[in-house]
Amino acid sequence: MKNHLPILIIILPLAVGFFILLFKKYIIQLSLGAIFIPLFLLLKFSSGFLDGNVIVYKLGGWESPLGIHLVIDGLSFYFSLLVLCAAVFIVLYSLYEETYPSSYYFYLLLSVSSMLGIIFTADIFNMYIFYELLTISTYLLIAYSKKGKSLKASFNYLIMGGVGLSFFLLGTGFLYALFGILDLPSISEKYLVIFSANREMILIAFALMIIGIGIKVAAFPLHGWLPDAHSLAPSSVSALLSGITVKIGIYCFIRLIYGIFGLEKYLFIKTEQFYLTLGSVTLLFGATMALAQIDLKRLLAFSTINQIGIILIGFGIGTKTGLTGALFHILNHAILKISLFFCAGIIIKKTGSRLLQDLKGFSRREPFIVLSFIIASMGMIGIPSVNGFISKFIICSAAIEAGFPLIVVIILIASVITAAYYFKIIYLFFDLSATSVKINKSSRRELASLRIILGYWTIYILTGISVLLGVFPSLGIDLLEPAVMSILSNFAP
Amino acid sequence: MNPLHISILLFFIGLYGVINKNNLIKKIIGLTIINGSTVLFFISISYSEGGIAPIFSKDISRESVQAMVNPVPQALMLTAIVIGVSVTALALALIVKIYEKYKTLDIQQLLKGR
Amino acid sequence: MVLLSSYGEKNKMKSSNIIKTIAQKLFPFILLFGIYLILHGHLSPGGGFQGGVVLGTAVILLFLSYGIEETERKVKIKYLSIIEVSIILFFIFIGVFGMLTANFFLKNFLPLGRTGQILSGGFMPLLNFVIGIKVAAGIFGIFYILFKYRGEI
Repeated sequence: MKNHLPILIIILPLAVGFFILLFKKYIIQLSLGAIFIPLFLLLKFSSGFLDGNVIVYKLGGWESPLGIHLVIDGLSFYFSLLVLCAAVFIVLYSLYEETYPSSYYFYLLLSVSSMLGIIFTADIFNMYIFYELLTISTYLLIAYSKKGKSLKASFNYLIMGGVGLSFFLLGTGFLYALFGILDLPSISEKYLVIFSANREMILIAFALMIIGIGIKVAAFPLHGWLPDAHSLAPSSVSALLSGITVKIGIYCFIRLIYGIFGLEKYLFIKTEQFYLTLGSVTLLFGATMALAQIDLKRLLAFSTINQIGIILIGFGIGTKTGLTGALFHILNHAILKISLFFCAGIIIKKTGSRLLQDLKGFSRREPFIVLSFIIASMGMIGIPSVNGFISKFIICSAAIEAGFPLIVVIILIASVITAAYYFKIIYLFFDLSATSVKINKSSRRELASLRIILGYWTIYILTGISVLLGVFPSLGIDLLEPAVMSILSNFAP
Repeated sequence: MNPLHISILLFFIGLYGVINKNNLIKKIIGLTIINGSTVLFFISISYSEGGIAPIFSKDISRESVQAMVNPVPQALMLTAIVIGVSVTALALALIVKIYEKYKTLDIQQLLKGR
Repeated sequence: MVLLSSYGEKNKMKSSNIIKTIAQKLFPFILLFGIYLILHGHLSPGGGFQGGVVLGTAVILLFLSYGIEETERKVKIKYLSIIEVSIILFFIFIGVFGMLTANFFLKNFLPLGRTGQILSGGFMPLLNFVIGIKVAAGIFGIFYILFKYRGEI
């Protein structure tokens, strides 16, 4: 069983998704099983990965460099654990939100399976195919409610995703023309030889791939699809997109930069300064735009751009501490942003509107949800005892070690702006002087059914995990160790 | 002027179509042109002068195997064409729904009425 | 002459007798060509996707010439989604079967015959067949929905 682990984890959600589409019974049990069984298999063999062992699986029995290989090493293990755990919470929250028909769960399982496919594959063209599958299935999820605005947002997302992935494909074409093979480990073996012969072609391929993945990651000039797409989707889908899907782009960044292009550290420009500049601009831009929003979910979407900038800064620093901070911040941001979007979903359901000014006095109605929101926003700002502080602190100390003190100033300024817009929301929660507390008539009589308990308890569990990671950060950092070691050794087997 | 130059030119023509044209259907056509240019790029990489088609039949000798063009990018591009077709089909279905709701396909009108 | 009436009315596409007759006579040949492409996928250019598109095109020709209601009576639509999904499950089952018998996902488990015959090349004809049916059902489904509802759901 251990030999077939990668392909089983990818195939199981896919097959169960199609099965759900065919026989429309037992939807919830099957979808939960399709996520729990891969999680259980991954955890059962986890001790091998934490020691640094690597599983390489040849699809169809074809050897390299002809065949497609699936690789589980430290980095893939970390990301796949993150994706599967987050998917559990998203499925549980979708049960609360509405009774979705079977096609919704099919798209959800399809997107989880394609994310696992991107994480495990070691072949560039296979990565492109799974990424297109992810774009299509998330596009269907965004347009699920079929309201006018979400249709426009998902059309925007589809066109920009299509163009971005075409840039990525063209970059793959250049790489294939230079190397003749498509297998990532074999390319990194041949890289130094070919780099010294054709520098310009490698630079063009690098630029094309960076633009392509930059569109999916929503770095500064290419972020235009993100506020609409993340805010006009249903709340569980927003959590899926902001929490995990954006991080998959960062995973592709790491695989390409540290696997292939980073071996020759200075192409024509210093790659580290490029990421530092990009990350800082994204950070300040996201923070400033979020301050000006009046719609709750749009504010959270700009906050995602904010935090992606911090993660890019962490990668730009490039030392061991910087990488640890960036990877830990990926985990923290996923937990916090998912719980924030779930709280926003409950708020929108109870008050019936998405504007900030209608949140006045909400703390009187749902005190525990407001408490979870406060704890999560403390984590996003970086106040100690919640996990966001730990990762920001690690990145700042890495910046000081590597000699970039300006970065610490930029991160502090952005944290102050983040504090400003989150405190604005919290102040509105406690504004008990307002008489216009909107009450949604349809949510007056709610019996305490299983669905409502599920919806609330996912938020409480996520908030509990974030406080736990804030007090005992070594639980998370131990998971990262093999990932960081494998990145720094440039994925040498 | 070999096919590689033409594929890059087509890529930028398609990109111009996606960015500058106001009608939604013209943007989809631009995306299709971009996909087509990528396919042309891959296939022109694997071409060699005077090559024969990589089909295996009974009277194939060692010399004719050397003269065959590379079949791997052709198989890759088959998959890329399939993906392009499905993205185009989904986008067209979405355009039908947008037209039904907003009665216009002009992007400036759609952005104004948000 | 194919007359398309204006958008929004309850419309019927009218076409002349020439088009109806030629479409009816050409339909089995296009089907045959599609099946030929699928079966000879491992011997000559063609294969699953190309043959599937040709098969889908054959049914679209009937839609265009005869109109929706008549074609709906001849071609059974309700089995479309069942066929699509069960074919995909069959593909995954072939992969898993390869995993059980020959130890890798999608590894070949049928005998390789002599080169140049149809029943050679392991399970390539089987996979081509599966993909051909899936693509034909997909293309047919897309055009059926787009034609039938014409944006007036």
